[in-house]
Amino acid sequence: MKRRLLPWLTMALSATALVAVSVAPARTSEAAGPSATPAKATAPAGGAFKVALVTDIGGLNDRSFNFLANKGRLRVQNELGVQTRVFITTTAADRIPNLRTAAQQGYDLVIGVGFLMAEPLSVVAKAFPNTKFAGVDVAWETVKGGPKNVRGLLFKEQEAGYLAGYLAGLQVVRKPAQGEYVVGAVGAIKIPPIVRYLAGYYAGARKADPRIKVLINYAQDSTFSDQAKCKEQALNQIANNAGVVFQVAGQCGLGVLSAAKEKGVFGIGVDADQGYIGPHVLTSAIKKVDVAVFLTAQAAKAQGSRFRGGYNATFSIKNSGVGYGRVTTRVPKSDVAKVEAIRKQIVSGKIRVPANLPAGVG
Amino acid sequence: MSEPERPQEGDAEQAPGSQVPAERTGGDYAPSVAERLALFQRAGGIATPLLTAAFAFFVGGLVVLVTTGKNPLRTYQAIFDGSGLNWLFPWITSEERTLAAFNLQYTLLLTTPLILTGLAVAFAFRCGMFNIGGQGQYTVGAVVAVWVGSSFAGMAGVAHALLAIVLAVLAGALWAGIAGLLKATVGAHEVISTIMLNWIALWVGSFLFTLGGPLQDSDQPGVPVSGSVQEGAKLLVFWGEPELQGLHIGLFVAIGALVAFWVMLNRTTLGYEVRAVGFNPEAARYGGISVARNYFLAMAISGAFAGLAASLDVLGWQFRISETDVQISQIGFIGIAVALLGRNTAVGIGFAALLFGSLLNGASTRNLDPEIFKPELAGNLTLLIQGLIVLFVGADVLVLYLWQLRRRVKLRVARAGT
Repeated sequence: MKRRLLPWLTMALSATALVAVSVAPARTSEAAGPSATPAKATAPAGGAFKVALVTDIGGLNDRSFNFLANKGRLRVQNELGVQTRVFITTTAADRIPNLRTAAQQGYDLVIGVGFLMAEPLSVVAKAFPNTKFAGVDVAWETVKGGPKNVRGLLFKEQEAGYLAGYLAGLQVVRKPAQGEYVVGAVGAIKIPPIVRYLAGYYAGARKADPRIKVLINYAQDSTFSDQAKCKEQALNQIANNAGVVFQVAGQCGLGVLSAAKEKGVFGIGVDADQGYIGPHVLTSAIKKVDVAVFLTAQAAKAQGSRFRGGYNATFSIKNSGVGYGRVTTRVPKSDVAKVEAIRKQIVSGKIRVPANLPAGVG
Repeated sequence: MSEPERPQEGDAEQAPGSQVPAERTGGDYAPSVAERLALFQRAGGIATPLLTAAFAFFVGGLVVLVTTGKNPLRTYQAIFDGSGLNWLFPWITSEERTLAAFNLQYTLLLTTPLILTGLAVAFAFRCGMFNIGGQGQYTVGAVVAVWVGSSFAGMAGVAHALLAIVLAVLAGALWAGIAGLLKATVGAHEVISTIMLNWIALWVGSFLFTLGGPLQDSDQPGVPVSGSVQEGAKLLVFWGEPELQGLHIGLFVAIGALVAFWVMLNRTTLGYEVRAVGFNPEAARYGGISVARNYFLAMAISGAFAGLAASLDVLGWQFRISETDVQISQIGFIGIAVALLGRNTAVGIGFAALLFGSLLNGASTRNLDPEIFKPELAGNLTLLIQGLIVLFVGADVLVLYLWQLRRRVKLRVARAGT
């Protein structure tokens, strides 16, 4: 008789589980009164101005792109007193639903992050003509159908790269490795924003000294997260006498900085100010995604329905949208002064930084 | 299949006083392979997967309670609402129903490929192989589907879609078939070869769509993304808005695949052979079944399911694949969890896929209000519950074993008393 116990027991337990499962929905229906459904709770019709941020793949703690966008969102919330919400994209299947949900819940301005938002923005913006959209790193021309309620937010990364490259050039000229003037840069993958950084870096280093050789490699990590891949590329460049290595690869690029530390050369951070990592970080090429998010939200709040899309807002050195971060104390103050002088020449338009690498480079 | 083992177990239990079980329950007792298998089979009822999921949700709830200090039931309720499954309840308001319909569309959209990648793991499993390569087979299928779908501009719609699907299915089958062939001919372990094939698929896919890659969209030279699937080749959307990722007819194809899986395994010679090989390859060989042939076929059929999943995604809602999508996709790996929880049966996989689809959609940040659950943690909760389920699926045999052990101790005590 004993062997009959087991089936009975499992049946009893499964019955319990079933009851538990069926109780949960019951609770749902009771509680789903006026406030429980998330969408409804946050959608007062025609209420105050609200901003939603839809991130790119990579999570909020990437210490770079999404992190900065979210920082901008929090600033909007704190300084403008605006209700905001972040929608995190974890897979390709999330992009359209996230944008759509944000629009549906009555957010007046919906900011998508990353150039892969171009396609989703084009369909969602069409479906919600009264909602304003903006896309960080999205070139408006790439948004199909040319919607007038979408604004592209682009950066002149090349200008930040130029300053970083110039400072890097000064270092290797002062202290060449085995008599060679070499600087390196590691990109995650070959996409326009990264290429712009690299193009500026190349031109800036050559500005410091035309004899400088610039090594450019890609880690081929489109997840922007595998530090080992970036580190490998950087170690290669350092073995080829690179005295400075510039990371243009988000979290993956932290591997570049750790390679620089290991081998006693300088590294350069990207997007956010990564000087906190240590004195081996020469400086950082900064792309102020947070500033772009904040300024866009501020404008949208102030202008209301007059807020225009249909073009690209460009963030450059001139409007403090890009720049360079903390410079390590290991370099003489005169170098910083030289970089500052170059920065002013870019602002005044005396130096025009190319957005593309010369043919045959990288 | 557990029939031959049952009498043995039964004998041992029904005769507690006899000498036979006394010997079997001695201090150095170790269950034979056959016994363990019998136990595993018995654990295969509907109870264990339900218990497994319930346990996972319970522990997940504890984690929510400890980390956020909030009522986990509220979180689960929000996830449930977010999955859109409350659409099935007749008593919700029409406003809630609109939102629920929208959520349910996305849930089922995610469920569709999960059913198929679950089948991809399960079919090989029934032949005694562990197909870790669902992701690679999915990627290869996606590449072929997007390539066919975005070329042949002049082709008639239905034929175009069918061609893309058939070729993607073949590509998946071929990719998995490599691992099957290697196992059948030189005995290379399928776990190793499928994992390696995953990486090959990932890098080939990345190469094809990267800037300047052969399949990269020439209209958008600055974006590492494939060309778009032609309008005509897109699958029909029967629920929701076609433009905004509505639910496409691929769901019915996936359900059809569940039926095909069951029929193939239980009503065909091929299925009989596959199961025989899975149960005991040596016995199958002795019975005149070609083990090598079945290894190859089972893997190829597995890969076909994964390829089908990819083609439905590409033609149903994705329409284009970026380099990032290739590298970030996890759908084939979640398929392993689906197959494990579904115990490699058609019905089980259907429900397990629905569970994981609901979790993925319900626990996304768009559905979990930041008040209820921090957005930074929302995605992690899905992964946590998923991990717990896999853990408990592996542990259910252990639970049953412990249960038996307790009985054995009782037996021994009873014997000592007499």
